[in-house]
Amino acid sequence: MNRPMDDPWRWRFWTLLAIVVGVPVLAGVLLALRFLPDRPVTYANIEDHFKYGSTGGERNAGFPLFIWKALPVVFADKLPRNGATGYEAFGMIYEKDEHGRPRELPVGVMRRRNLGLDRVFVNCAVCHSTTVREAPDKPRKVYVGTGASHFDLGLLEKFFGDIVVDERFTANVLVPAVERESGGKLGVLDRNLVYPVAIALMRERLLMLRDRFLPLETEKWGPGRVDTWNSAKAGLSFVISGLPEHERRGAVDFPSIWNQRKRKHRDDGQPMQLHWTGNNVSVEERNLSAAFGTGATPRTVDHAAIGRLEDWLLDAAPPPFPFPIDRAKADRGAAVYTKHCASCHGKSGQDFSGAYVGHVTPVAKAGTDREHYNSYTYELATNQNVLYAETRYRFTHFRKTDGYANMPLDGIWLRGPYLHNGSVPTLRELLDLPEARRATFYRGYDVLDPVRVGFVSDVPEENGRRFTFYDTKEPTKSNRGHLYGVGLPPADKDAIVEYLKTF
Amino acid sequence: MFAWTPERTKRLRITLVALFVVLAFGAWFGWYKFFRVVPQPPFATADERFKYGSIGGEDSAGIPYWIVYVLPRVFPDKLPGPTGYASFGFSWEEGTELPIGFTKKTIGFPRVANNCAGCHVASYRLSPDDTPKLVPTGPNHTFNLEAFFRFLVDCARDPRFNAGTLMAEINLAGDLSWIDRMIYRFVLIPITRKRLLERGPRFAWIYNHGLPQWPDWGRGRDDAMNLTKYFLTTSPLDDTLGPTDMPSIWNLKKYKTNPGTRMNFAGDSWDANSVIIDSALGLLGAGPANNRMFLEEIKWLTKYLEEYQAPKFPLPIDQARAAAGKAVFDANCASCHWSARTGTVVPVQEVGTDIERIKSWNKAAAVRSNETVRALGIERRGLVEADPTGYIAAFLDGIWLRAPYLHNGSVPTLRDLLEPVAKRPQVFYRGYDVYDSLDMGFISREDQAKRLGTSWDAVKAVATPYDVRWRSNGNMGHEYGVTLPQGEKDALIEYLKTL
Repeated sequence: MNRPMDDPWRWRFWTLLAIVVGVPVLAGVLLALRFLPDRPVTYANIEDHFKYGSTGGERNAGFPLFIWKALPVVFADKLPRNGATGYEAFGMIYEKDEHGRPRELPVGVMRRRNLGLDRVFVNCAVCHSTTVREAPDKPRKVYVGTGASHFDLGLLEKFFGDIVVDERFTANVLVPAVERESGGKLGVLDRNLVYPVAIALMRERLLMLRDRFLPLETEKWGPGRVDTWNSAKAGLSFVISGLPEHERRGAVDFPSIWNQRKRKHRDDGQPMQLHWTGNNVSVEERNLSAAFGTGATPRTVDHAAIGRLEDWLLDAAPPPFPFPIDRAKADRGAAVYTKHCASCHGKSGQDFSGAYVGHVTPVAKAGTDREHYNSYTYELATNQNVLYAETRYRFTHFRKTDGYANMPLDGIWLRGPYLHNGSVPTLRELLDLPEARRATFYRGYDVLDPVRVGFVSDVPEENGRRFTFYDTKEPTKSNRGHLYGVGLPPADKDAIVEYLKTF
Repeated sequence: MFAWTPERTKRLRITLVALFVVLAFGAWFGWYKFFRVVPQPPFATADERFKYGSIGGEDSAGIPYWIVYVLPRVFPDKLPGPTGYASFGFSWEEGTELPIGFTKKTIGFPRVANNCAGCHVASYRLSPDDTPKLVPTGPNHTFNLEAFFRFLVDCARDPRFNAGTLMAEINLAGDLSWIDRMIYRFVLIPITRKRLLERGPRFAWIYNHGLPQWPDWGRGRDDAMNLTKYFLTTSPLDDTLGPTDMPSIWNLKKYKTNPGTRMNFAGDSWDANSVIIDSALGLLGAGPANNRMFLEEIKWLTKYLEEYQAPKFPLPIDQARAAAGKAVFDANCASCHWSARTGTVVPVQEVGTDIERIKSWNKAAAVRSNETVRALGIERRGLVEADPTGYIAAFLDGIWLRAPYLHNGSVPTLRDLLEPVAKRPQVFYRGYDVYDSLDMGFISREDQAKRLGTSWDAVKAVATPYDVRWRSNGNMGHEYGVTLPQGEKDALIEYLKTL
C-alpha cells in the first residue's frame, strides 16, 4: 500500500525524537561516564596502600589533584619560612618512584577519581610514618606505623586556613595555575565549569573548617604533634573560645600504631585503654575516630579500605633497631627493666604482659603535663556518642579517664621524642630527673641518636632547612613527671636503654 | 463515534489496575515513610525505660532525628555554652546516643521527643575529675530548660535554618539514602521550621527574661505553674513569675501513705497521678495520640516513682554526731518536716519565703486546667481548685541531693539555710555538679571552689548566676534553727545526711 503522506512525517518524527530524546540521553551518558566514576587508587602492597591508598575521605574533603599541586606554587609566600619548598616545608616526604623520580604525591596523600576529577587528601600515613637517617650522610628511609615526628600538621592546617581567605583564592588565579600543573591538558569543560565549580566548593568547605579550627591556634603545635581532642571539639562545632582556658589546648605526639592485636588484651582479659588518656578500649572505634582526620565521614568512609589497613595493623610490627646492640648490656638492662618498668610497659617489645599495661595511671601520680588530660572532657566524651549515629558503627566506648594510659613500648627507639607531649628528646634523658632533661631542643631533624636513643635534637638547621624550636616552658610542652627509674645508677640506666633498643 | 469495544474496555481495565497499583504503592510509601509506628526496642531495666522511654511525645512534639542532631553544629552561637547539647546541662551518659530525657522513636522516620527524665535525673560528682553519677528521679539541677526552649525557636528563626545548610551538615554526619535526603530536604526541614516557629509566640513571655524584674530561670529551675497556664490551657499572659527548683520525684508513695498531703511546692495538686499526667501533657504539647497507651505509660511511671527510693548519702557519715543531730532535728525541725504537718501547706505568712510563686497560680487557672484535661478524655483528681496560700512543708528524703534549697532554689547549701537571711549568700552560681559535703550543696561560690580545689572558671563556664535581689529569687524566710550553736548545726547537718 502506498501512503505518500506517511514517509516525510515518519522521518520527521524519528528525527525529532532523536533530537529530543537521543541527544540528552547521549549527553547524559557522556556526563555520567565523566562524572560518576568513583575509583580509589589502591595498591597490592599493603605498605604502599597505607602510604598512598584511599580511606574514602577524598569523596568528602578531597582537593582536585592539580589544585593540590598548584597551591604551594600560587601561595608560596604563605608556606612556613623554613628554607624548604612545597609541601616539604610541612615536613612531608616525597619518595622516589621505580624510575628514581620523585613521586607526584608525598607519603600520606591518597587519590581517588571522583566527581570527574582526581581528588587527593591526606590519609593515615601522613601522621603515622616518618623518615629516619642513621647518620647525616646516610640515605633517608621511610618507616610506616610510627608517629610522624617531623610532619607539622598544625602549619598545614594554618596554610589552608590562610590561603582560603587570600584574594588569590579565585578561579581567575587558580585555573591558569591548574592549567600549568596539568601540562596544558585542561579540556573546555574543565577550564570553564569543573574547576571553577570545584574551587568555589573548596572555598566554601575550607571556610567552614577555618571557622571551626582557627581558634585552635594549630601553628603552636609544632612538628609531630596534634591537639587531638580540641580538633574533635572543633569538628563537633564546639565553641573553643568559650571553653574554660585549661581545656582549650592539649597537643600530643602522633603515636605509633603497630601491633594492635596485642592491644586488644591486657593481663586482666580486658582490652587495653587506647589513646594517651586511655579514653577508648575499641581498636575499631579508635580507628574510625582517627579517620575523621582523613575526611572520612559516615557517608564517605570506605570501610573495606580501612578494614584492610586495620587487619594489617593488627600484626604489623616495628622495624628492628638499625644499629648494633650490645647483647650483654641489654641483658643486664632487661633485669633492671623488669624490676622497674615492666609492670606498666610490658615485658618486652613483643610481649605486652604486665599487671598495669594498658591501664590508666592517675594524672597526679604520673606527674606529666596535665594539659592534654584536661583537654579531654566528659562533655566531649558524651558528644562523641553521636558519631556514626544510625549505623552499626556508632561510637559507644569513649570515656573520661583520670589520667594517662601505660603504653606498650614496641618500636620505642623510633618513637622519640618521648612522653605523650614529645617533651623529652631521648630515652636516656627520660630516665633522668626533669631538671636534667633538655629544657629546649629542636624537632624535625631525622637523624637518629644511637646512644641516647631518639632523634638528634640539637640541630637547628641543615643545608638551609631550619627546624622547629621546642621550649618545655611553653604550655602543653612541659617535660616534668614520669619519675620512674630516675634514681637508678647511671650504668643501670644505660643498660635499660640498651635493652629498649631490642623493642 | 465512541463505543465500548472490548478492546477499549480492556484498556480501561488495565489503566485502572495500573492506577490503583500506583496509588496503593504511593499510599503504602507515604504510610511507611511518615506514619509507620515502630515500637522502641525493649528496655533492659526500669531505670532505662524511665530515662529513654517514650511517653508519646513523638507524635505531637517530635523533631526529626537528623534535625535534632545537627542543630548544635549549625547554631553553636545559639547554645548557652560551648559544648553542643552538653551545654544545656542535660544528664548524658557515656556511650549513649542521646542525653537522658530524650526519647527516640520511629514514626515513619526517627523522631526525637522528651520525657520526664530530662528534668528529673540528678547528676553529682565528688571531685572535678570524677565522671558524673546520675540519679534517676533526682532533681536535674544542671539543666537549663529555658535555654533549651529558646534554642529550638531561635534556630528556626535564623536564616541558616534552611534545607541547604542543614543538609550539608547532615551529610557530614549521617549516611542517609537518596530518598531520605529528599524527604528531609523538601518535607521535614521546611515543616519542622514551621512547627518550631509556631512555638515562638507561645514563648514570648520567656523572651522577656534576663532582667532583674524578669530573671532567667537559670539552671535547674522552671516556671511550672506559668507553663501550665500558658501551655496546657491557653490563658492570656499575666505578669506573674514563679520559677521553682526542679523537684525530686522519688518515693512518691509517701504522698499516698500520708493522707492529707498534697503535691507541688504550693500544694497545687491533689495527688501524684495528677501531677504526672499534667507534666507529661506539658511535654506532649497536645492531647495524646492514644489515650489508652498514654495512661498505661502514666500508670507504669506512677508505680516506678512510688517505689524508687532516695539515694543514700555517698560518703561516710559520723554516726555519733548524726545521732546528736537527730535530737536537734526533733527539737527544731520535726514539727514541720517529720510530723502530720509534713506534706501539707504552711501559710506563707508563717514560713516567710518568697511569695511570687504563690501569685503565679490561682483558682481560675486550676478550674480551667482541670476542664482542659477532662476534655481530652482523661480522668484524674487534678489540681486543687483554690487560690494557693502557702508552701508545702517538704518531706526531706534525699535532701542532700536537692540543693539549692527552698522552693525557688535561693539558698545554695543546707549550711547557708541554717544562717539568718542577712548572712545567706546574695549572689551565687547554680548548675555545677561537684558536691560539697561540708556545706551540703553544690559548689556555687568562689570560696567553696577554692576550698575544694576546683577551678572557678570551670564552675562559671557551666553554671548560671543567681541573685537573690532579683524578683521571685528572694532568700527570705524559713529562719528556723538559725540561732543554734555551731556544734548543734554541725550535728544537724550530719543527721540530714542520713535522710
